[in-house]
Amino acid sequence: MTAVVEARGLVRRYQGDGEVVRAVDGVDLAVEPGETVSVMGPSGCGKSTLLHLLGGLERPDAGELRLGGRRVDGLSETQWAVFRRQGVGFVFQAFHLVDELTAVENVELPALLVGSSRHDARRRASGLLDRLGVGARAGHLPDRLSGGERQRVAVARALINEPLVVLADEPTGNLDSRATGDILRLFADLRAAGQTLLIVTHDPRVASMADRLLTMRDGVIDGGTRLDGGAFASPLADLGDLADRGGA
Amino acid sequence: MRSVVLLLRLAWRNVRRRPGQAVLLLVTLTIATGTFGVATSVYGSADEPWDRVWRATDGFHVGLTAYHPPDEPGDAELVADLRRRATALAASAPGVAAVGGPWTHLYGSVDIAGAPEDLTAEVRDSPRSAVDQPLVTDGRWLGAGGGVVLESGLASTLDLGAGDTITVQGRSFPVRGVAMTVSRGRFPLSRPAQVWVTAETAQAMRALGMTEEGFELQIRLDDPADAAAFVEDHRAAVSVDASSPVIAYLETWQQRRADSHSDIDIVAATLFAAGLLLALLTVATAAVLVAGRMAAQVHQIGTLKAVGVTPRQVVSVLLIEHLAIAALASAAGLGLGRVLAPRLAGVSLTVLGNPELPPLTWGRVATVCAVASATVVLGTVRPALRGTRHSTLRSLAAGPRPPRRPGPSSRLVAAPGLPLAGALGLRSARRRPARLLTSAAGLTLGVAMTVVAVALHASLDLLEVTPAEPGHAASATATDALYAQVRSIVVATAVLLLVLATVNAVVVAAFAARDTARNHAVLRAVGATPRQTTTALIVSQLGASAIAVALGIPLGFGLWGLMEGGDLPAVTPPAPALVALGAAVPIVFAAIVAVPARLMARRPVAPVLAHE
Repeated sequence: MTAVVEARGLVRRYQGDGEVVRAVDGVDLAVEPGETVSVMGPSGCGKSTLLHLLGGLERPDAGELRLGGRRVDGLSETQWAVFRRQGVGFVFQAFHLVDELTAVENVELPALLVGSSRHDARRRASGLLDRLGVGARAGHLPDRLSGGERQRVAVARALINEPLVVLADEPTGNLDSRATGDILRLFADLRAAGQTLLIVTHDPRVASMADRLLTMRDGVIDGGTRLDGGAFASPLADLGDLADRGGA
Repeated sequence: MRSVVLLLRLAWRNVRRRPGQAVLLLVTLTIATGTFGVATSVYGSADEPWDRVWRATDGFHVGLTAYHPPDEPGDAELVADLRRRATALAASAPGVAAVGGPWTHLYGSVDIAGAPEDLTAEVRDSPRSAVDQPLVTDGRWLGAGGGVVLESGLASTLDLGAGDTITVQGRSFPVRGVAMTVSRGRFPLSRPAQVWVTAETAQAMRALGMTEEGFELQIRLDDPADAAAFVEDHRAAVSVDASSPVIAYLETWQQRRADSHSDIDIVAATLFAAGLLLALLTVATAAVLVAGRMAAQVHQIGTLKAVGVTPRQVVSVLLIEHLAIAALASAAGLGLGRVLAPRLAGVSLTVLGNPELPPLTWGRVATVCAVASATVVLGTVRPALRGTRHSTLRSLAAGPRPPRRPGPSSRLVAAPGLPLAGALGLRSARRRPARLLTSAAGLTLGVAMTVVAVALHASLDLLEVTPAEPGHAASATATDALYAQVRSIVVATAVLLLVLATVNAVVVAAFAARDTARNHAVLRAVGATPRQTTTALIVSQLGASAIAVALGIPLGFGLWGLMEGGDLPAVTPPAPALVALGAAVPIVFAAIVAVPARLMARRPVAPVLAHE
């Protein structure tokens, strides 16, 4: 089976104060279809940079990257943008919704970008928001939504084009525990539905729901653990009650 | 005192941190103050030379002129009656100190560059008059041997001096001298041309066909300040029936002085108007800069407020900074005025001798400083106050204030037929309407002045192709030269306004690019291409040019309506030029705004998103 994400020797360097910092230092990574992978590590270890490289938000200085079997590390800015529409869905810690657009408009945006009709895009966006429990907030601007609601809108936006992979960068980093529980259930649903997920997180509860946990340090992946995939049975978090409510 | 020092230090830091913005405001403001400085220096530069000639010639306090137009049948009886009445008035009226004349005026023509030009020959029969004895600048005054003395403007036009000859009524007369007077304006902007002749020469000219057209009588009073009252008291004594072809009027020396340098007045008035428009545009520039600054410094303002600096002190910092720039611009503008004004006034055809810049009085300095200060205060206070009104907590959370309601354009993203990038741009434009309107205001002025320049151009073209009336060729040429000077000022002003408006637009677009950087990074993260985000930013700014075209063209028509009339042929600005203007403004504007938009689109997405 072809890996959805396949990176070989991925390197990203920054010019620091008089020295070159290797934020990502020769990472090899393969994520299979339907697999959920968590990446943990201390702040500054390069995990967010890795995620940005995988989604084309930053360009690698060296290495190869394939998404869905297609070589993408040489794509231009425009080619990356077009590829991202259906290839990658992003979920950010800071949500990153467009302030001027309502929740449903934010969600339908990627669909409109790939050329869906406005009617179809709106129908699908509304359906997703309903499924994620924020249908009633569809007409509100982001500033009027709670953190948990914004993140669910962001997840809906990431999913609307059924991307090859959803890349989530600290998706619960800005949420309180209740909203974190909601997002955990949501990701569990996605995992169960076969959506390929790569999640960068500090939160062991989030990490524990993955099929595989990778740890990063100083720009390299220094460990990997195959989990049993049952996030809420994980010894990393006492979230059994959430598992009952959030199972697929 | 300590807080004042703190505010001064903060203002100085701001200038040092943003030298580009300070320089932009300084340059814009200096263009406006410089235009005012030139205007205030040009205006009145002919007064002192006039006064000097007035004093040297024992110039009149009240003048009486009576004549019939050359193409009207003369009424010798009426003119003779007027002459008697005027002479009696001058002899008996209280307050009269001296009388000159009455001097007979003969009408004829002088040959200038092969074409006849209207000529008045004033007959002088005494060696020296107690009033209005022309000041000889070359050769000698009239005397034995006949000949003529040329008015200095006529001598300059013909490039003649003492010892040359002049052709009057087809016959040559020797030029005895060249002289100045204040009793009439200088040829060729004042016509007809004038010479002074003795009675003997006048006789010869009569024999050549010159006819008597009237006379002139000059009076000096005990007190020059009584001139207006004298005219008021004795107007009836020299009045003629309204139906009579004879024209008679009394004139004070002050009226003559005010009318004596029309070309300088026209140039100065044009410069004042240009300066006013430039100052208005500078208000827009200052407002744009301050609004952009407030948006960018919202975090710093929050920090200042958090440590106890009051909103008023925050505004004071900006005002100190901008008033310091205004002071610099005022000094530079006044300096420019002193440097440039002599060159402008030097081409005047009406100045008696060399123009002399009026002294730099406190009043003139205050005028320029007031314009500069008012400009920056108008442009600074409102946006600064708005910027400081955010709560401290809100200010500390950096980033532009997000909208609270979807607003009337909320359906735009889903509007059928509207490209997505365009729809996003329109939504973005709605977020900063004041900035858009400020940008539009500057462009509107530029477009309006361009319409005026186009209309003036067409009008002057019409004037130039219209053959001058017989006998007016030289004065028509001089008038054309004057209008060409006015045209240069109007065109230069239009260009300056458009350039400054464009700079404003670029600054606004740069601020817009900065404000929307996060949103556009998000758009790119979800699949929008750099071209789409560039288009969105251009569309968000394009409304300013649409407003400018929609308002600027009618405003230009309005301004032109105020200018045309008088000697300018009435024209409607040519439609093709207006269409070209209407099309060019948005296209050029879009091309310019595309620069910061493209720069923004080149920025990598991740660092922008990482800032939050």
